[in-house]
Parts: sequence; C-alpha cells; structure tokens
Amino acid sequence: MAKEKIIAPPKKKKVGTFDIVNYIVFILIGLIIILPMWKVLVDSLNRYGVYQFRLWPRDFTLEGYLTIIKTTRLIKPFFISLLTTVLGTFLGLFLSTLGGYVLIQFDMPGRNIFAYFLLFTMIFSGGMIPEYLVMKQLGLVDSWWILVFKHGINVYNLVLMRNFFEGVPASLYEAARIDGCSPMGIFFRIVLPLSKAALASIGLMFAVTVWNDYSTVQIYITNPDNVNFQYKLRTMIMDGDTPTTSYNISQTTLYNAGIIVAILPFMLLYPFLQKYFVTGVNIGAVKE
Amino acid sequence: MSMKKVKLTSTGAEIRKKPLKLRIWQSRGFYVMFLPVLIFVAIMYYWPMLGIRFSFYQYKAAGRGAMTWVGLQHFQTMFFNPVKSGAFWNAFRNTLVLSVIKLLITTFTSVIVSIFLNEMQSLKAKKSLQTIIYLPHFMSWAVVASIFSLFLSPSSTGLVNGVLRSMGVVGEGEYIYFLANTAWWRPIYYLINIWKETGWGTIIFLATLSGINPELYEAGDIDGATRVQKIWYITVPALANTIITVLILNLAKVMNLFESVFVLYNTAVYEVSDVISTYIYRQTFATMNPDYGFSTAVGLFKSLVGCVLVLVCNRLSKKTRGRGIV
Repeated sequence: MAKEKIIAPPKKKKVGTFDIVNYIVFILIGLIIILPMWKVLVDSLNRYGVYQFRLWPRDFTLEGYLTIIKTTRLIKPFFISLLTTVLGTFLGLFLSTLGGYVLIQFDMPGRNIFAYFLLFTMIFSGGMIPEYLVMKQLGLVDSWWILVFKHGINVYNLVLMRNFFEGVPASLYEAARIDGCSPMGIFFRIVLPLSKAALASIGLMFAVTVWNDYSTVQIYITNPDNVNFQYKLRTMIMDGDTPTTSYNISQTTLYNAGIIVAILPFMLLYPFLQKYFVTGVNIGAVKE
Repeated sequence: MSMKKVKLTSTGAEIRKKPLKLRIWQSRGFYVMFLPVLIFVAIMYYWPMLGIRFSFYQYKAAGRGAMTWVGLQHFQTMFFNPVKSGAFWNAFRNTLVLSVIKLLITTFTSVIVSIFLNEMQSLKAKKSLQTIIYLPHFMSWAVVASIFSLFLSPSSTGLVNGVLRSMGVVGEGEYIYFLANTAWWRPIYYLINIWKETGWGTIIFLATLSGINPELYEAGDIDGATRVQKIWYITVPALANTIITVLILNLAKVMNLFESVFVLYNTAVYEVSDVISTYIYRQTFATMNPDYGFSTAVGLFKSLVGCVLVLVCNRLSKKTRGRGIV
C-alpha cells in the first residue's frame, strides 16, 4: 500500500524531455520502416516511374496489377506459391504434431533414441550438393513439390510443438487413457483441441517460410513453368527478365506492383494474427 | 533400489516400470504415429549425409555418375591450390566477416530500440510501434532485395541516385552503382539487415525487460536517480545475460549465410560478398561440367565448421545459462 502511494504519481504524470525525445526517435524509426513500403505502394499505382518520393500517385493506374493477373508467366508463379504454401503448411503441421506428441511419451521405449535421431539433424547436414543429388534421384528436381517436401519436415518446429504439448496437463492424458481412449484418440480429441494457439503460430511459421522461399527454387528448379512468385519477382527486377507485352505502364510500375503482390497475403493477415506471429519466438527463445 | 528402475512421468509421479516387451507392445500406437516423421527425416536429412562420400571422388555431372576415387585431392585443391584456393578462402573470410558483423550490429540496434521501447509511457504507442517494426521480418529476402535494388538503382527511377543528382552530389547523368561497388556493398548489406531484423530482434529483449523487478526502479526513484541513470544502472545490466544468449545462439548459425547474400550480390562484388554457400552454388550450378565431388567437399568443410560452432556454442550456453541451445 505504502509503495503505491509513493511511486504511482510521479511515474504517470511527468512528461519530461526524455519522453519527448523518445517519441521523436520512435516516430523516426516508424517512418524508416513505413516509408520504403509506402513508396513501393505509391509507385505501383503510378503510371510513370519517377525517383521522387510521393505521398499519393499522380497518374493513378491499376494497370500494374492487371498486367500481373493477365500475364500467364506472372500469375502462374503466384498460384504455385499459394498451392505450395497451403500444402507445405499442412504437411508441416501434420509431421510436427505427430512427432511432438510422440516425443512426450515418457513411458515409450526408445523415446530418447527418437529424440537424438531428430536432434542430430540440427547439428550436422549432408550439405547442398548431396541434398540436390538425392532430390534428383527422387525426381523432385524441377518440380514445385520440392517446396512442399523440403519445408514440410522441420525439426526445430517439431521441437517447438513438443514444448507446447508438454504444457498440456498430464492428468488429462491419464484420464483419457483410463476411459479407454487410444493414442490416436487422445491425440485428436485432447491434444490438438487444446493446442489451437500452437497450431496457429507454428502453422504461420511454416506458411511464411514456404511463401517466402527463394533459394530452394534457385537451386532446384530451372523450368520457368514451375517457379514460385518470389523467384519470378527477383529475376524480373534484378535480372531484367520482364514478360510484359503491354507498354502503357512503366516497368517500375510493374516491378512495384509485383513487390506488393509478394507481400500482400501476410500483410493482410498480420494485423489480425500478430499474436500468433510472435508467440512462436517467445516459446522458442525464452521459455522451453 | 537402483535408480534405473524408477522413472518419473512429466507430472513428477513415480511409475514402476513394466517389462520392456509389454511397454513396447503398449506403445505400438505411438510407433505407428512416429513412422511418417521417421521416413521424412531419413529421406530429407540422413540420406543426403551418405552423399558425403562424394567428397573423396571425382564425380563429373556429365559423366552419367562415373566416379573415380581421388582421396583427399579435393581438400588439397580447396585449401592449397594456387589458382582455386583463393576464391575459397575469400568466401570463407567473407562468411565470417559478414555474419559476425551483421550479428553484432543488429543485436546492438535491437538492444537500443528495446530499451527505448521499454521507456515508453503510453502502452498504445508502444504496441503500435511494435506492430510496425516487426513487419519487415515477414518479408522475404527476395522482396527486400527487390525493394532496395529499385531504390539504389542507377537508372532514372532510382530514389537514392535521383536525390544525389538533384542535390548535386553526383553530376547530371552520373550515378553510383551501389550494389555493384565493392566499397558500398557491405555497408548497404548491413543497413538492409538492420532495417529487416532490428524490430524482430527486440522481442527477446523486451521479454527480459518486462521481467525486471519494478522495485529496482522504485529504489532508484527514492535515491533520486534520473531516467538515464536508471537505464544505465538497472536496465542495461539486466539485459547482459540475454545479450550473451542471443550472441551465442546466433554464433552457431554463422556458416548458414546464403539467401540474404545471394539475392543482393553480383559478379562485380564477389570479392567482398561471396560466401561459402554461394561459392558452392556457383561451383555446381553456374559452371560447365561441374565436379559434384569438389562442391561436396566444400560443403563438408562448411558442415564440419558449423558442427564445431554448434557444439562450442552449446557448451558456452550450458556454462552461462545452465542449458543447451536446442
């Protein structure tokens, strides 16, 4: 009681020089983050490319976005990105929930062997070329399925999932087992329904990884029909591989529209799901 | 009795062990559930490990899998060959320099930003700022590279060169080709990393800061400490452990640098930007008739150094905070 009386008043009321400086610094930081994105957005709606920063497009046009929709060589990579993201997220959640659940079965003989079997992959790897040669043998080179399979198994996310599951009270499992529930039944009826937050945040981690992946395509896919949108965007802008047929907009307009399309899905989800985007890190780094 | 007979469940309750065969039979459901994971991990991680043997062979891509044993010749070429080892050592040096400096700079900026975020009085302002500064983390490296290469482009629509021209720093029709300039590439690379990752890096520091006992600040108030003094004597020391943790965790990943460099570098700046992974990539996919054996050998070197780093960091982590890095 006495504590509150002494401390509370001075802490809340005073807005000193420090606070003013602090706010100015943070407005600047916010602008440093926002302005580049704003420029990209405005330029994507501007018919002619200019270097100046504008708050609003001068010759407004949606032609940049329409070009992406109408050009097969641009819209197809977009759909490949969508498809691989959905499939990769499902496969990723499937494998990491199964693995995470089995790793908390402390009575199961061989649990430690399984754990070491997984953890060793985090310490050592065959490297880029042996991986490439294996994928080649499996027929995954030049196929967008490589994006699904490569990201579908992720030991780090599996361990995160295991940590979430460990938080589910063990008494619940035991009660279910006594009621005659099978391991599968416990998994579907108790573990998964209690781990919705974990599924959301780890699912988002998978989705972001697959959607944003560029290097897997660069290494494994040479057929331009099977590349994803990130790859297409980067080669279009940095290597000048433009598939435009209409020239009533500047190239810069098309480039900027491409960037917006590449970040759009997560920028739309982000404000609503920020909680889930962030929990994964805290579980991984702080708790565990 | 002996310790081995008694095992604790996750709740801490003791259970008496049943015979092994019975326990295996009772766990059969779990083994079935683990099977898909086992298969995927075996194929995606362990099968490639068998390919390490290629580093002792000559394995030409064009030869339809014809392999000749060459022993340690690839390692000799990599480390000592007067023609080829130069590019390798350059890539190795760049990997260390770029990773470590990037790690130090972004950790520093994250610490500074989180200290000031922590000082914000209005919770609403704090929350909206966090929302904004986390954003760039979710953009792919391909997107970030695209944005900044448009800004830094030497063409008439490049923002930075346009501003420099209008201010008269460079003459009309002249430009600085930032991403193809050996003096500019690294600073630009660090700046882009700061822009992308500083905000995300604050999460772990903010978690630590929210755990500081408020009584420490109250004691500071009673002693008449100023805001800056309280930050310096209370907040910064409280962060020391977390800073060490972050550095250790990331030190283990030093060798992994690939995508962020690959999307930004080009032929003109290999000298300052080429890293081990990009070197392996070019030796294999941008060379006529590559020798898979040689690139596997370079990859094995990278994996081994990475492995040592992980083990060292694990040891450091156990010493400083009582648990490993995984």
